[in-house]
Amino acid sequence: MPSEPLRLRDIRHTSTFRLASLLGLVFALGIVILLAVIYTMTVSELTARSDLILREVGARLVSAPAARLPERVRAEIASNVQGLDFIALIGPDGQRLTGNIRVPARVRLDKPVDLPARPGVRGPIRLLALRAAGGHIILIGRDISQIAYLRSRFLQIFLWSGLAAAIGGLLAGVALSLRPLRRVRDLQQVSRAIAAGALDARMPIAGRGDELDQFAGTVNVMVEEVGRVIAQVKGVTDAIAHDLRTPLAHVRTSLLRTRGRPDTPPAFAALAAEAVDDLDAVLDRFAALLRISELEASARRSGFRPTDLARLAERAAELYEPLAEERGQTIIVQAQTAATIEADEPLLFEALSNVLDNAIKFSGVGDRIDVIVGERDGDPGIEVRDHGPGIAAEERDAVLRRFHRGANAGATPGSGLGLSVVAAIAHLHRFGLELENAGPGLRVRIRCPR
Amino acid sequence: MARILVIEDDPSTAEEIVTELKVHGHHPVHVADGAAALERACHESFDTITLDRMLPGLDGLALVARLRQRHIDVPVLMISALSDVDERIEGLRGGGDDYLTKPFATGEMIARIEVLLRRGRAPTDTTVLRAGGIEMDLVRRQVAVDGEPVRLLHMEFRLLEFLLRNMGEVVSRRMIFEQVWGYYFDPGANLINVHIARLRRKLDRPGRMSAISTIKGEGYRLDAV
Repeated sequence: MPSEPLRLRDIRHTSTFRLASLLGLVFALGIVILLAVIYTMTVSELTARSDLILREVGARLVSAPAARLPERVRAEIASNVQGLDFIALIGPDGQRLTGNIRVPARVRLDKPVDLPARPGVRGPIRLLALRAAGGHIILIGRDISQIAYLRSRFLQIFLWSGLAAAIGGLLAGVALSLRPLRRVRDLQQVSRAIAAGALDARMPIAGRGDELDQFAGTVNVMVEEVGRVIAQVKGVTDAIAHDLRTPLAHVRTSLLRTRGRPDTPPAFAALAAEAVDDLDAVLDRFAALLRISELEASARRSGFRPTDLARLAERAAELYEPLAEERGQTIIVQAQTAATIEADEPLLFEALSNVLDNAIKFSGVGDRIDVIVGERDGDPGIEVRDHGPGIAAEERDAVLRRFHRGANAGATPGSGLGLSVVAAIAHLHRFGLELENAGPGLRVRIRCPR
Repeated sequence: MARILVIEDDPSTAEEIVTELKVHGHHPVHVADGAAALERACHESFDTITLDRMLPGLDGLALVARLRQRHIDVPVLMISALSDVDERIEGLRGGGDDYLTKPFATGEMIARIEVLLRRGRAPTDTTVLRAGGIEMDLVRRQVAVDGEPVRLLHMEFRLLEFLLRNMGEVVSRRMIFEQVWGYYFDPGANLINVHIARLRRKLDRPGRMSAISTIKGEGYRLDAV
């Protein structure tokens, strides 16, 4: 049986994937929080250091008398060899008296602020405004482009490392989920085969002793036991059927010989003929029982071929048409869709024959029987609809069991094995067998998913 | 009287087959072992062979394969408890000419042996089959009764052809279903009965016995009437 391809949707629902993804998410969150703390502390430390420098410079200028302020400012600017500091002296009238920086807006006193770079304005800078002697304002700025750059780098690292951790977590989730998922798939495949009747199939055990191995081992023990019990029951049934058939066949031969002897009185010959008829009915039932047993035990698919359902329906209708005609009934075949499915054609024909035989038996004189090849919910299938008494909803499962005859069967001849044969054939094919009320009558549908 | 090699290891089944063959006027030769049976089949002349599928010494399938390798084409009726369709197909592909599952009605076995014997004797190039007033032209696919054309449906034609080819022999309903329709399950007695009845209605002529007789408990027989 080819294994089905793994889809992302399947992986997404596995516990391993969910656990690994959750761990990945927690890990990514941890990284983000760690980086955020480092970022915040670094930025505040660098800012504090800038502010300290600004205040030191400011303290040197603020202490100077008003008349000497312009000179001191120029000297301070000249001494700034790194080119990182900017100073301006604003007069009491708000006019810039000297300096190497222009600030377009008013700045609050004694509160350092960041000024972003703008066209015509240097930046980004950290700026501190201090009141000096004679109503002057001294603006002291410091280039913080390195700090800004560091901040943006930090943010990028934030983003990328968080993203990488999240993707890494997801990929780890997928990678960790693949193997268990493949094993689950293998287990599913075997369980389907077991459900389809392959009781000799066993769940694969990887030998790791993990929970899947433990589960597979438990199921194997269970299947072993079920197989043993079924084989025992089947063996007993088959042995009874087989062992009784052989002597009954001998009795039948003896009766036929007795009937054919010239010295057998006619009354005895007639009795022997009746006994042969009764024996034939018993032998037919044993044969049907063994047939069901054989079908149920079989998982063979060697006989599966592309089968044209419409052709199959026509052939079955052709076979049963004379029987229907005898009762004045008509069999109408309708091929609503062309459907070719993989099936064991002779077995499917046998199933359809049984359904048709029932439809004829249970329909009234002159009734119409429809054989429809069509699709329902996307699945092709064959449907036989009669106008008989139907089967009550609560009995529809029971009639598929051996020897169960529906309450409406009345005096209609039958063994109660026909639908069991149909069910066994449908099961062997993994087809559905649906019995529905046709109001009036019964609709039996063999659903054949492709 | 035909000389028939009965290869069967089960004493009671062998006795049943031998008795029934004698009752029907044949000369059965029983061998219980596969290797010994092969030896006799290679050095003696038989009209047909009944062969148990599972034998000690040499398996039935292997035995028939060796016979065919040595160009011994005696018709072989394989008799087996293995009733699965696959087993049947394997038996027929392996060289068997017909397949009968155990337990079987002896009438059915005799009917199948008679068919095999007839097949061995019948000319293979026959294009016209006749029985009394019935004439079937296999090439033109036409049937006439007393010179009067009769229209038969496709399966009716095949059914009549099968009965004509086995004229005078009893054929069981199972044999009919296998040979005419090609299926190996039991469709029930009534179904074949109505097909036979429909064919009779087309072939029978007033004041004359029906060509097809029902042999109760065994099957049907077409005779020249």
